[in-house]
Amino acid sequence: MSSGPFALWRWGRLFKDFPGFLEGFKITLLVSILALLLALILGIIFGLFSTSNKKILRAIARVYVEIFQNTPLVVQVFFVYNALPYVGVTLDVFSIGMLCVGIYHGAYVSEVVRAGISSIARGQMEAAKSQGFSYLQAMRWIILPQTLTIVLPPLANQAVNLIKNTSVMALVAGGDLMYRADSWASNGTLSYGPAYIITGVMYFILCFPLVSWARRHELRIKNRGTGSGPGGPGLVVPAKAGTTDHIHQGAAL
Amino acid sequence: MKFAKKVVCVALILAAVAGTVFAGGKQESGGSGDVDRIKGHGVLRVGVKSDVPGFGLQNPATGLYEGLEIELAKLIAQEIFGDPSKVAFTPVTAKTRGPLLDNGDIDLVIATFTVTEERKLTYNFSTTYYTDAVGMLVKKAAGISGLKDLGGKTIGVAQSATSRVAIKEAGDKIGVSFGFAEFATYPEIKAALDSGRVDVFSVDKSILAGYLDNETVILPEAFSPQEYGIASKKSNTELTSYIDGLIKKWLSDGTIAGLVSQFKL
Repeated sequence: MSSGPFALWRWGRLFKDFPGFLEGFKITLLVSILALLLALILGIIFGLFSTSNKKILRAIARVYVEIFQNTPLVVQVFFVYNALPYVGVTLDVFSIGMLCVGIYHGAYVSEVVRAGISSIARGQMEAAKSQGFSYLQAMRWIILPQTLTIVLPPLANQAVNLIKNTSVMALVAGGDLMYRADSWASNGTLSYGPAYIITGVMYFILCFPLVSWARRHELRIKNRGTGSGPGGPGLVVPAKAGTTDHIHQGAAL
Repeated sequence: MKFAKKVVCVALILAAVAGTVFAGGKQESGGSGDVDRIKGHGVLRVGVKSDVPGFGLQNPATGLYEGLEIELAKLIAQEIFGDPSKVAFTPVTAKTRGPLLDNGDIDLVIATFTVTEERKLTYNFSTTYYTDAVGMLVKKAAGISGLKDLGGKTIGVAQSATSRVAIKEAGDKIGVSFGFAEFATYPEIKAALDSGRVDVFSVDKSILAGYLDNETVILPEAFSPQEYGIASKKSNTELTSYIDGLIKKWLSDGTIAGLVSQFKL
């Protein structure tokens, strides 16, 4: 046991070098927050596009969603990292992580937003219009506020997938938590076991609160929904979460 | 009486079974358990490089493995089975070779695996069969002539490779510091060098040779000897001493020297 992959001395060294893991954790956290903001902005814009009555906007949203849902994030990251420099676009790894992960998950968020908007009874838009609301006013004051409540749980699930997917940065020397852990375990100590356990725990700490909040919130909506009003029975948003499997590093190699 | 007969019968059967098991157990501990186990598999499973010319290269035309380390694996199979073809090759990278050995997918790693004190804590290594050094591949256009020009530059290295430590120590000695970017595979480092993500591709010289092209050059400097050994799982001590004996024999009788010149290493 003293020589095994989980030997005590490996853990000792890990805790000595723990600041390195924290550095990576900081990057992961920061990229996650920025990518999440980007994904939300893109998701709302393209979610609105895809429910618009203008054909061209729907088409634009469709193209965006199909491209980013049907190509692996790893491919997108490698493309930006290795191919774009040839056309003069050399982004640093932090920006690549933020942009790629944000744009990729924006496509999924837009689907959540689209489903949310569609689930609000069509009659409400017509009722609003008959009261003199413009399309945008109706969206802003009537449809979106109701949508927000029901899409929050699936959005939280998206956020969790997004956080986990920031680990693709490790493939392009991103300096994130996964990269730090890999690098630490590789260099000399070969302590993959302890390194990945600690890394898993750190991702868990980030993700678990979001997931459990989403679960509680979902229950709350369901219970409230037995009455009348928005969020009633039948307003179940197809959760897009879970369709974006966490990208396994090995799969890309 | 009948009952007594039955009891005797059962007792005899038990004794026979116990005897077989005991004899089996005794045989197991009789000296070459690891090698017997490999014989039981019917094939020697070896982790090799598939992209290092001269050491372990999977020929794209034939699909066959070629190189010094491939020949060593065949020689070992010849010793164990009397048949050099009883080898199953698994392509490994610097990062995957350790875990593959740990989980028992392969019996041996012969894959430009540098012996270090730290790695000896995790794996068993045979005597060194080849000594290499860490080198640097740079773009001709970059105007880099040596380590002294690398201040503030980024060096691409493979995860789990010893090159990072070796080159950092060399840099510290002459007071030059640089950044590192680690990648899972060599082609990824080459891609990063081509696209200008890293300024230097640093790994063992033998491996670098496989990535040399018209736009790049290998610098004459080399650092910290890299001694390649055959690795086996820490618990397989018998296998290690068996392999070690073979390598020592082949070093003294000129077999390995012959292979080194055959592959122009």
